[in-house]
Amino acid sequence: MPDDVSALGLAARPAPAGARLSRAAPFVVAGLAAVALWIAPLVLDTFAVNVLTRSMIYAVLAVTVDLLWGFAGILTFGQAAFFGVGAYATAMALTYLGATPEWIAVALALAVVAPMALGLAVGWLSFYHRSTALYASVISLVTPIVVTQLIYSGGEWTGSSSGLVGFDVLPLELEGFFRLAALLLIAVTLAAWVFVRSDAGRALVAVRDNDARCAYLGLSPKRLQIALTTVLAGVAGLAGFVFANASSVVAPENAGFLFGTELVIWVALGGRGTLLGPVLGTIAIDYLAANLSGDLPFLWQLLLGTAFVAVIILLPGGLAEVARRAWGALPVGRRPGFAPRLVASPPRAEAAPSDAPLLKIDGLAKSYGSLTVLENIDLEIRAGELVSLVGPNGAGKTTLMRCLSDGTEPFTGAVSIGGVSTAGLTPNRIVALGVGRKFQVASVFESLTVADCLLLARAPHDGLSAFGRAESLTLPQAALDVLRMTGLDRMLAEPTRLLSHGQKQALELAMVVALEPRVILLDEPTAGLTKAERTTIGAVLKTLTADLGIAAVLVEHDLDFVRQISSRIVVLHQGRLVLDGTVDEVVNSDLVRTIYSGGAHV
Amino acid sequence: MLLILDVLTTAGILFVVSIGLLAVFGVLKIINFAHGAWLTIGAYCAVVAAQLGLNPWAALPLAFVIGAALGGLAELFIIRPLYRRPLDAILATWGLGIVIGQLITLGFGRDVQMTTNLFSGTVEIFGADYSAYRLVALGAAVVIGVAFALTIEGTRLGLSARAVIMNETLARGLGIDTARVRLFTFMIGAGLAALAGVLLTPLTSVDPNMGVSWLIGAFMLVMVADASFLALGVACLVFGAAQVLISTFVSPILGSIAIAVLAALVLRISPKGFSRA
Repeated sequence: MPDDVSALGLAARPAPAGARLSRAAPFVVAGLAAVALWIAPLVLDTFAVNVLTRSMIYAVLAVTVDLLWGFAGILTFGQAAFFGVGAYATAMALTYLGATPEWIAVALALAVVAPMALGLAVGWLSFYHRSTALYASVISLVTPIVVTQLIYSGGEWTGSSSGLVGFDVLPLELEGFFRLAALLLIAVTLAAWVFVRSDAGRALVAVRDNDARCAYLGLSPKRLQIALTTVLAGVAGLAGFVFANASSVVAPENAGFLFGTELVIWVALGGRGTLLGPVLGTIAIDYLAANLSGDLPFLWQLLLGTAFVAVIILLPGGLAEVARRAWGALPVGRRPGFAPRLVASPPRAEAAPSDAPLLKIDGLAKSYGSLTVLENIDLEIRAGELVSLVGPNGAGKTTLMRCLSDGTEPFTGAVSIGGVSTAGLTPNRIVALGVGRKFQVASVFESLTVADCLLLARAPHDGLSAFGRAESLTLPQAALDVLRMTGLDRMLAEPTRLLSHGQKQALELAMVVALEPRVILLDEPTAGLTKAERTTIGAVLKTLTADLGIAAVLVEHDLDFVRQISSRIVVLHQGRLVLDGTVDEVVNSDLVRTIYSGGAHV
Repeated sequence: MLLILDVLTTAGILFVVSIGLLAVFGVLKIINFAHGAWLTIGAYCAVVAAQLGLNPWAALPLAFVIGAALGGLAELFIIRPLYRRPLDAILATWGLGIVIGQLITLGFGRDVQMTTNLFSGTVEIFGADYSAYRLVALGAAVVIGVAFALTIEGTRLGLSARAVIMNETLARGLGIDTARVRLFTFMIGAGLAALAGVLLTPLTSVDPNMGVSWLIGAFMLVMVADASFLALGVACLVFGAAQVLISTFVSPILGSIAIAVLAALVLRISPKGFSRA
């Protein structure tokens, strides 16, 4: 899998001319390709025109598979089903309604809408809170099998196993269909290219990398995945429309699971996550297959299978990886990563101070079977408070944080944020209520840059452009402070996987602060940090609560740190809330001393 | 009555076909999409045994040994580099299945092969004739299930395998050679698949792509069973029953997709499938 998608992008910040050039590059390439492919039928023989028309239609499907698998991490065998549905919708409409311009328009609409409806259903089935990547693949496997069986059971209506043949089609010649396929391929590839290079394209990679973090930034991974599945089902259906017209034959195999696996093989060989790799790979392999499989049918399949296994094991980036390495070795191949300018957002209008608690926990209890982890927790936290949650390992601190930030966790009792109950809400909807959560282990997007991570954290506020890259990134002053104090503001173009442990912690904190939450949940934000880094984070937390009126809950082991910054301390011991008081009351209590000296396992 | 026999024997056959895949998924946490190819290898072992004029039953141990040996090679060279990339492992094993299918085609041709029947004729049961072989297959499923349970519960390898299933890091920390456990498990899984291939020969035609049609059903059953072999038995009974009933009363075409669709829905509702029961 490509670690850094921005390697595709050619953006360079220091030279605006270069940036403009790079933004124009996809369009220039697309224009040249269109001209070349327009002329191509004049010089190619009939056989080549015929085969390449089919290859280019398949390449459109390869682009959709690449977006789903290479970019969004959803391994799918289902694109064949959507393609088949589009092709059959076209063929059936043309067979039973006729090929007048009006009915062709109807066929076109059906070929896009029917697969999209199926895609929506498949997406809904595949993606839900806590669904797994494997489950989505399972569904994508079942879909073409079901569609194929439905085609078989359609009797005369679908032509059953022999398919539909000989219907009237668009009034185009061989060259016309070649050009139509070429234009479709170029349009789809160009749109995909622009999209993956845009800010919204980062969200795809973010969901692949870390869908939990996405949800805790208030983005809905499942909504993005369902939308992507639906739209790309429509694109596959469009390819099916062109296919049915160009070949005037549709057969059950066009919708089959085996065709779905072939698409994945082509994308893998071409190079997933590169768009151009799968396009060129598909065309090359399908064209070669048409030429070779007549003479050496079994040997060709054997070679292809062997190459596929070898590429998956040894060269996960496919042939595009080879090309990219060669390109990267040249001096011209290296470009600096893209980074936007940082801008401070104007301070928010202060909410009218109110005495109502921002976070209210009522009789919360949680158990795993007979093991009770939390019981009878009551807690109220008001704006501006910094409440530290202390207690020995296993006291239930992290479990409590999870119950606060995920309303779908099975627990009893009630949690409300600003008066709104969180019962049944998924993490992204709780984030929308104004809760930010920082995990114990730094949770960032490993394939993205520092700037991209921050950009995604701002997405719920500022949106993401699906066409280009924002020139500037507006962050609240507190988030900028975290970046400045840790030096991250000078590393915006660095991929986060190269950051140190402390820098990742700081980046995650900055991302959470950038959400502008009303309540912030921090699970050991200073674990494994140096003394200097701790002081920095302590100062930031003080500002957030005292000056900006955010309510903070901090899980912490370091009592000195807790003493310096907390306004209140709550002690959790064996799942119960045993103390709740000011810093002095708690730190000097006998109970805390016994717990921390290890004698209180009553 | 016959319907109940159909359900039981169908469940038995499904169990035999899926158990090898389950063993691999449970311990290695990867899905062996070459499972279908190993079924085919087993079936061709029966073909070879018939050509050599051996007793048809001799094909069973032969297939197990050959399947396990080839499985060992596959584990070493293809599965092992992909433990950390489970989705890629699905693809690589699918590719391996293609390669094996083409090699078999090159060696034996793509035509349907004939095998000597392991057990022919019918028996009279509940006043009707019933295929004797389907009953034998049911017996074989029970024998394989019991043997599998004894291996898991009673042997050192079984103990190690259970430890790896529960917590691989801890198992390694306790000095269990997890790489060897994986290797042996894959060999056993592959051997069982080949064994199942021989048992399938009287029921289905033998050709280079015969395994693929069984693969999806087995895969869905294993997903629902989630590495628990008792749950696999339950899943085979429930979905086998669904398949037989839908094929009989609704339509054979819907019956053929019953397992896949029902399993997908069960997983949507309860991601752990039947293993919690």
